[in-house]
Amino acid sequence: MRVIRSLGALLMLTQLLAAHASAEPPTGLADSAALRATVYGAPPQDIAPLPARVPLDEIDITLPWARPLPAVLWFDRRLRVWFSAQNKAAPLAIVISGTGDDGNTAKLALLRATLYGAGYHVLTLPSPTNPGFIAAASSTGVAGDLMQDSRDLYAAAQEIIAHLPTKVRITDVDVLGYSLGGSHAAVLKSIDSVEHRLKIHRAVMINPPVSLFAAMNRLDQLFALSVGSGEEGINRVYQRLYVRLANFYRSSEQVRIEGTNLLAAAGAVLRTDADFSAAIALTFRIELMNVFYTGDLYAGTGVVTDPRRPPRPGDPTDEVVRRLLGKPFSAYFEQVFAPYYLAHRPGSTRASLIAENRLDIIGDALRTNADYYAQTNADDLILDRAELDWLRSTLNVRIAVYDHGGHLGNLGERQQIADMLDMLAGRWAGAGE
Amino acid sequence: MRVARFVALLAVAGASLPTGGCASRDFSIRSLPAETPAADNAAAIKEFQDTQALAAARANAATAAAIGQPLTAADVPSMQSYDPWERMNRFTYRFNARFDEAILLPVADEYRRLPSPLRTGIHNFFANLSEIVSVVNYSAQLRPAPGVRALGRLVINSTLGIGGLFDVATKMHIPGARTGFGATLARWGMHPGPYLVMPMLGPATLRDGCGFLADFGTDYAINPVNLYRGTAGWALTPLDGVDIRANTSFRYYSTGSPFEYDAVRFLYVRKTLIEDDALRMWHSSGNRAAPTPAAQ
Repeated sequence: MRVIRSLGALLMLTQLLAAHASAEPPTGLADSAALRATVYGAPPQDIAPLPARVPLDEIDITLPWARPLPAVLWFDRRLRVWFSAQNKAAPLAIVISGTGDDGNTAKLALLRATLYGAGYHVLTLPSPTNPGFIAAASSTGVAGDLMQDSRDLYAAAQEIIAHLPTKVRITDVDVLGYSLGGSHAAVLKSIDSVEHRLKIHRAVMINPPVSLFAAMNRLDQLFALSVGSGEEGINRVYQRLYVRLANFYRSSEQVRIEGTNLLAAAGAVLRTDADFSAAIALTFRIELMNVFYTGDLYAGTGVVTDPRRPPRPGDPTDEVVRRLLGKPFSAYFEQVFAPYYLAHRPGSTRASLIAENRLDIIGDALRTNADYYAQTNADDLILDRAELDWLRSTLNVRIAVYDHGGHLGNLGERQQIADMLDMLAGRWAGAGE
Repeated sequence: MRVARFVALLAVAGASLPTGGCASRDFSIRSLPAETPAADNAAAIKEFQDTQALAAARANAATAAAIGQPLTAADVPSMQSYDPWERMNRFTYRFNARFDEAILLPVADEYRRLPSPLRTGIHNFFANLSEIVSVVNYSAQLRPAPGVRALGRLVINSTLGIGGLFDVATKMHIPGARTGFGATLARWGMHPGPYLVMPMLGPATLRDGCGFLADFGTDYAINPVNLYRGTAGWALTPLDGVDIRANTSFRYYSTGSPFEYDAVRFLYVRKTLIEDDALRMWHSSGNRAAPTPAAQ
């Protein structure tokens, strides 16, 4: 049992390194403060007031349109979401996770706490790019298309809400999300404005990407810059970080890796901008591996696994991991995503697929409908200058742009939470800068 | 025998749990223990400040010299892990995930609903019992300083701490530092050996798996105050297991990733190797006069 505990501690370390770098692509031009904020997140003393107690239910649901489950994904049969109910009539906040993340990350727990404290029922959902969602709720199995993924999410949200206990009384529905989940939230509202099945009132995007694919490609560049190409580069980063961690424990006199000294260990391991960039790029690459593997499996493209000999749960995966670690997003796009969507969406081209994954597809709604809001940071790694300007001009007074935080590094801070709650309640009066 | 009883108890407990709300094949809703964000953040603030204070103290003390020869890139083990029993291990890992999901975790969740002082008491009680194994193994490792500290903790907490229910020793600035037979084997130069996933217990190496069994045997052989062979002895190990599970945030397949086995193995083996290296260093550097525990 002790081993499980130590393992828990170690996983906390990786989560610490990874959680805040959750995946979206930086420009490679970010400054030191932005990189550090992205990795570490908001310091606990800057966090908004939190309630003492938040009830929590875990919901597993089988969705009728789910594709046949590959044997290797046996653990992803049902979609898992989390729900916190008020014991009185209250508005519902649906919160969507960022790239690759499940529906109960530390960031979601933080948002859940603040939203519950402000009187909302809170439903947290995984990202459509999370392998659990891809297996249990995706109608394609090939993740990454903004509109298709949002449609799957929309259908899943309806099923879940329809099954909630009758004593849960919902007065209004708002939707929000962080990172890629922010884009999904806005698209969800735009779908709902036609279909009216959830009657979504307001949508808040927190640090959303404007162009998913452009941002991904920038991340590939960051990977090339900070890690290098192929196994050689990964091995070099691994050796560098291992040496530092080992020397940290050599000098710390505490010869067991435990939860208490993980923050200090992370401080000893990540030192330069290149280290932080590598941590962000590697985290994203690991998330991409899951999307690549499941996409290849469902689409039967044969790039990773042989469709005629489907992988089984006991099979070693070292070789697959080794190959996928070296594959950038552009390889996923070229080998899995584009072939699938070109075949399933008549008349589309590679250029049209890329264009359809920009927030422009709901640009008119964002410009004219006063119920869309956004929060982002001037130094967010996943936006370039033109994209930030586009967000500003499109949302006009309905966007708050903070001067620090990198990508999600200020999530949970007092100002960010206060503004978010004002936006959701429709009492946001514009940035007081 | 004991393990079988452990399983039987957990199976009964698991089966008798209230299903909590509606549960059909297509939809199930399970109530979890409430989250406590305010208290969690207060703890995070304290940890953050402690870390900063520790880092400042470290910078002043210039302990960099104490590490002797620093590790270099040439000493770093390969990214591959030695896992000759991979198929069996993967099978066990899958079993553990299902066992955890169906039985251990639901029981631990119910346990987490008990009043916090009661849980802390139980936790302290088992931590205190583990000092016995630590004393034995620090002696076997020829490490008198931490051995005496563990013995001191055992005596203080068993008496002033009322049978170990209160951790008085930590309040007196004698923090715990567990050790076991696995670490003793490592101290005398034994390599971790192949990666091994143990049924119900999770990831280990062959050496640490044997160490775990030896620790259990040590407790059973010493049998303090006839705990292990007394009337309630059968309940001891399951309760310890549930307490540990309730204090561990790990969740099998929470990321949904098909590569979780690989990730866990990679991290576990690296962790073992780094701990071994630190332990070896500690001995080769002349036992570094009176090492102070890091957590103060």
